[in-house]
Amino acid sequence: MDYFTYRDSPFPVRADIGAAHREFWRRLAGPGNWWTGAERVAIAAEARAARTCEYCRERKQALSAYTGAERHTAVSELPTRAIDAIHRIMTDQNRITRSWVEDNAENGLTKPGYVELAGIVVALLSIDEFNRALGLPFEQLPEPQPGEPTRYLPPILSEDTGFVPMIPRGGASGDEADLFSGSRGANVLRALSLVPNALRDWKLLASAQYLSIEGMANLVGQDNRAIDRAQMEVVAGRVSAYNECFY
Amino acid sequence: MLRVSAMQTERDIDLELINGEVSVAPGLKYAAELTAFAEAVASMEETSLTAARAQLEAVAGAAVLVDAAGVAANFQRMVRIADAMGIPVDDADNEMQNEIREKLDLYRFRSSENSRRAT
Repeated sequence: MDYFTYRDSPFPVRADIGAAHREFWRRLAGPGNWWTGAERVAIAAEARAARTCEYCRERKQALSAYTGAERHTAVSELPTRAIDAIHRIMTDQNRITRSWVEDNAENGLTKPGYVELAGIVVALLSIDEFNRALGLPFEQLPEPQPGEPTRYLPPILSEDTGFVPMIPRGGASGDEADLFSGSRGANVLRALSLVPNALRDWKLLASAQYLSIEGMANLVGQDNRAIDRAQMEVVAGRVSAYNECFY
Repeated sequence: MLRVSAMQTERDIDLELINGEVSVAPGLKYAAELTAFAEAVASMEETSLTAARAQLEAVAGAAVLVDAAGVAANFQRMVRIADAMGIPVDDADNEMQNEIREKLDLYRFRSSENSRRAT
């Protein structure tokens, strides 16, 4: 099946956007570091289900964000804690705490598994939101591919910040040499680095939908974009402020 | 980044655009339509999104709409990465950044708890 052709879009979509979306779909279908291809596609399906989950809506208004993990309107056979994590990242992310991440880790949702899961959720979200912003339907999820997770961990990790281990600034070498290239290793890049391919997905999609790491140094604007950098930052800033993003 | 880009291109852009406190910026083409579209995407509310999409396309064209959609969608995920991983800001001691955070009252956001506040 041809994904993300955007042939039926009433608006001409840049070819590099469709190509990035297709490449993520290919990666999504295969086994990752901590989840199988079937589980990864199930995580994506669950992220979509969170949009209409009644319990998510109810809990977002509740004073306590930490009850009823088993009450989500789930569409997968994923473990309850994974389903709760997916729904929470989608609908109530600013109440995520270190203690919740630690509790999950002690009860089966490991930190690498959590990071890979989060990477899938946010990558899917940025693609689905692009379509929704243009009034286009969501793309059909890919067919899962066979294979086992590699259980790969980067050799150099630190726990100096955030809720999960991350590759330290200056620690991206060897197989990870590409991760922070062209940057100083900002925390937003380090955030998913426990699962390097999750960060690679982040960079793939950001390069097409926003800017590449190298492109961020251009404060004026890129020739292949219809909006200049200041216009981009107004859109980015308004979305971030609406979402109460401090970072 | 907005302030730095504005300085680089010698434009006077009111940062309150970010908070939705103002909607016009003489130095920025389509400011009102871009901020309305961005807010509509973030709100997840389809009626306002349909109207904002039509308005942006009408005044700026399809190419601007598509690129704005890409940026808005990208930043729908950025907040979730930051909050899900609990990362602090990188530049807690940067004077200009702190001035902006104070001016825009960003410490009202719950996720500011993940960052040290400069004194």
